[in-house]
Amino acid sequence: MTATEPAAATAASVLAAAAAATSSVLAAAAAAATAPAPAGAVAATGAALAARIGSFSFHGEATPALHGLDLSIRPGILTAVLGGSGSGKTTLGKLLAGWHRPGHSGTLTGSLTLAGEPLTFRGLEDDPRINPSAWSTRVGYVPQDAAAMLSTVRSTVAEELAFGLENRGTPRPDMLRAVAGTAELTGLTALLARDPATLSGGELRRLAMACAVIQNPGVLVLDEPLASLDAAGIIQVRDLINRLTGAGTAVVLLSQSADGLARSAGHWIILDGGTASASGLPRELIRSAELARTGTVLPRVIHTVPAVRASAPEPGAAPVLELEGLGFGYPGTGDAAREPLLRDLGLTVRPGEIVAVTGPNGAGKSTLLRHLNGLLRPHTGEVRVQGRSIAGTPTGRIAASVGLLFQHPRDQLFERTVLREASFGLRRLHGRGAGARAHEALEAVGLSGAAQSHPAELPASQQRLLALATVLARCPAVLALDEPTVGLDRHGLERLDHAVAAAAARGAAVVLVTHDAAYARATAHRVLALDGGRLREG
Amino acid sequence: MRAPSTLHPLTSLTAAGCTAVITTAAGTWPLSLAVALAAVVLARRAGAGRRVLGTAAAVLLPLGLSLLLLHGLFFPEGRTVLAAWGPARVTAEGLAFAWEAGTRTGACVLVLLLFSFTVSAPDLVAALAARGLPPQFGFVLASALTLLPAMAGRLERIRAAQESRGLVLRGGVLPRLAAVRLQMVPLVLGLIEESGNRAQALDARGFGAAGPRTSYRQVTDPPAQRRLRTAMLLLTAAAVALRLVASWPGAGPV
Amino acid sequence: MSQQSLILPATGTGPGAGSAAGTAKARRNRRLLELAGAVSIAATYIFLVLTQPADIANGPASFSALVALGGFLLGAVLLIAAALPVLPTSTLVLMPVALVLNVVLGQLMGSTGLPFYFDAIGTVLIAVLAGPAAGAATGALSSIVWSFFNPTVLPFAAGAALIGFLAGLAARGGLFRRFYLAPVAGFVTGILAGVVSAPIAAFVFGGTAGLGTGAVVSAFRAMGDTLLAAITKQALISDPMDKAIVFAIVALLVYALPRRTSFQFPFVRRFRVLAGKGPATPEA
Repeated sequence: MTATEPAAATAASVLAAAAAATSSVLAAAAAAATAPAPAGAVAATGAALAARIGSFSFHGEATPALHGLDLSIRPGILTAVLGGSGSGKTTLGKLLAGWHRPGHSGTLTGSLTLAGEPLTFRGLEDDPRINPSAWSTRVGYVPQDAAAMLSTVRSTVAEELAFGLENRGTPRPDMLRAVAGTAELTGLTALLARDPATLSGGELRRLAMACAVIQNPGVLVLDEPLASLDAAGIIQVRDLINRLTGAGTAVVLLSQSADGLARSAGHWIILDGGTASASGLPRELIRSAELARTGTVLPRVIHTVPAVRASAPEPGAAPVLELEGLGFGYPGTGDAAREPLLRDLGLTVRPGEIVAVTGPNGAGKSTLLRHLNGLLRPHTGEVRVQGRSIAGTPTGRIAASVGLLFQHPRDQLFERTVLREASFGLRRLHGRGAGARAHEALEAVGLSGAAQSHPAELPASQQRLLALATVLARCPAVLALDEPTVGLDRHGLERLDHAVAAAAARGAAVVLVTHDAAYARATAHRVLALDGGRLREG
Repeated sequence: MRAPSTLHPLTSLTAAGCTAVITTAAGTWPLSLAVALAAVVLARRAGAGRRVLGTAAAVLLPLGLSLLLLHGLFFPEGRTVLAAWGPARVTAEGLAFAWEAGTRTGACVLVLLLFSFTVSAPDLVAALAARGLPPQFGFVLASALTLLPAMAGRLERIRAAQESRGLVLRGGVLPRLAAVRLQMVPLVLGLIEESGNRAQALDARGFGAAGPRTSYRQVTDPPAQRRLRTAMLLLTAAAVALRLVASWPGAGPV
Repeated sequence: MSQQSLILPATGTGPGAGSAAGTAKARRNRRLLELAGAVSIAATYIFLVLTQPADIANGPASFSALVALGGFLLGAVLLIAAALPVLPTSTLVLMPVALVLNVVLGQLMGSTGLPFYFDAIGTVLIAVLAGPAAGAATGALSSIVWSFFNPTVLPFAAGAALIGFLAGLAARGGLFRRFYLAPVAGFVTGILAGVVSAPIAAFVFGGTAGLGTGAVVSAFRAMGDTLLAAITKQALISDPMDKAIVFAIVALLVYALPRRTSFQFPFVRRFRVLAGKGPATPEA
């Protein structure tokens, strides 16, 4: 055994055994391949990767994260693993790809069979220990947070791509070829000299995928590869996935949405509570009870039939929120000739009214929301909440009447338990009723059962709901939500719909910002587009 | 902004380090002052004058004032008393000591800052790795340099999110301490969680693997610069040896 | 020699860097390096104290400055060389985080207006989560990286390594299981770290970096102490208090972390660093 072997060799053997036509680009990446395929390895099972998971639990946790799960991944096929938040998709993906190593990250009983080489784990000391560096040349994994894939120590996209090859001692000429080939395959050629820190979300996602693809793995696991991408980014990523499966790579998609990409898969596995509740062809499972039980989002269903539609507000009531002649531009974002981000913007929201603001990235949607509670102060114009101007009042005080929910729940949460989180600061607002308010808010988002959990241990979808509960508990007169649907599974979306409708019903004004036009139309009484610094009816 | 340096990163590192050591070994204020001025001039030429001076001022002003207060007023070894108020005595020796120590530290700080604000960090990391330093060292250096500038934005996001939840930052040590704790928890938690993911990603990209590595980035190292480095190192060694021999305890006056 | 094996050779709880052959020899070499580093630091300190110039009226002693710089930096580098290559990746990625926390939390705490440095919070946090070797390497390395922005912290690398090492020992000894014991451990750490760092301040800088600390040194000088004695006494006043607070803050922080996060560190599981129930699964 030696670590100096060119990394592409092992992965190339998988592709060869899969008897698939390797594209010329992939062949370039595998230029150093000399090793013959392990005899009969893949042919015996037909699977590039097979897993039998009796149970897998993290250290220090009593309940297993995964249990009773058998799956086999076939070359050249897109396999979709669907499930709601907390169903164990990410754990499964990381386990398959050697990111969670048995014994190191947790305890596994079961077996993993990669290219015909079975490894059996009994949860004991003398279990085999996976070599992550070798494993990843055959099974690649791209995390949902693409930035986590990056080394943070390379200053250009080209060097970031080469990082894995450098560590394996790939000779420089091979490295140059592999970088150029992978960049072409992933559409990064024009970006090779850029600093990875300056890439957009879609570019970053493609770079993360390229970092895995450059090892030419036979299996590629993608965790929510389309999350928070715009339409152009989605097309590019889907195109890349098509090219990879066409070249014989087995692609595993982890997704909490049965979107177009998932529907194009050849095989579905439905994950529920850490175990596979069903598997088969997409058209067999799309209407199944198993899929309906999970929190998987079915895009068309949820947005055309909203669970609850708030009744229209009374037209005569005094407005809760008024923006008048709002003007704002970030300092230092360029020359004086540049137009300010918001210009003479006006908005009036009455009690019980739900207003959705849509617009392209960078139009200033989040900037507008930050004016509502004084995080940003307008250069011209005025913000009035319940008839009073908020100028000069600190944000922490405005928070009593304006609740702002951010995109990243992690930044908002800081307490040791879910209940303490929801109760924070309530005593000053509600006095003795604080405890009841906190419980009510947790009930509204479906987190009563998790009151004593640590907020950071909740699945991402529930963390967002908890952040929503902390806002709801304060019963603000104005509810401002920044991209509230992102990252929520179907159960979460239903809770959100209920919460928004309930807030409107008790007379709160709701302003939500979203890139999802269908959601905006389904939820709001009024949809406004932010365009050229002003709001107009959309 | 930054003018591309034609120096190999190890050459500028050696130059900065050797200058600092020689200045310390010589221990005479005219040399210190000359070195400091030269560093400022070079920094201006490289377009980094403002950043070098700003950072140096933040470090050196408190140190200088502290030295002045300490040695200017209280220097029991001093004999030439210029003024005295009660226990405080301004002595010529004390002022000279503060001046000597201040200029020496000032010269070293300016020279080293000149290096760190003009060197290309990726080139330095590549050059160090090529010289056989463990890749882990390069990782810690480069990763810290990447993470640091991102922190201000991160703290700002946390503060904004928490204020939106009704957190009011106000005076008094204890309430502020409590507020700081609330900000620290998401910051530390986020960083540790991210680093856990990064460790898995790095392992998957072969970072933990043993064996030789190669480098994509190539840094040219002209032979003339190699000879220059050797010469500087020899000169420094000589200066240090001279100082050690000259002032070895018991070898006579400094 | 065809391809890299999918599994690592069975070496029990071997290091992440995975050196199969000559592990025993490599381990002995590392021990020797560590020992050499510690001896270098201790010997430098003793030498400096014994040979401190009796008369500094002729200006700051270049000789002592060179010896202090050389000996302490050599020790720090040896300690880093011993620890760094065998640290698992999961610990290694914490080091830049520690550095960032040292700088950022140091500034945040500085905003509370308390007269201390608080520049070791990150180092102590890593030491508690990942052990003494990681702590020592973190302390020394973070001083080296920090010196890119503030060259004056470079000579204190040895003291920072000592703080990380002692914090790790305290965590291993269970001093973080009781909340009131953490500041005590910090106090003791501060005494040792302060004493070791005093010659640097005295001989390399000829004083202290801050006005507050400078005033304290002045008071001792006014009573006729030598510079080293005055700075050592000042360090004995500030450092133990500072480290006691830092250790207490770190204790607060680690208990605010979710168990899943803190228990992902083998050091925490193996030595039962934190109070509460142990891990469900026995750890090698």
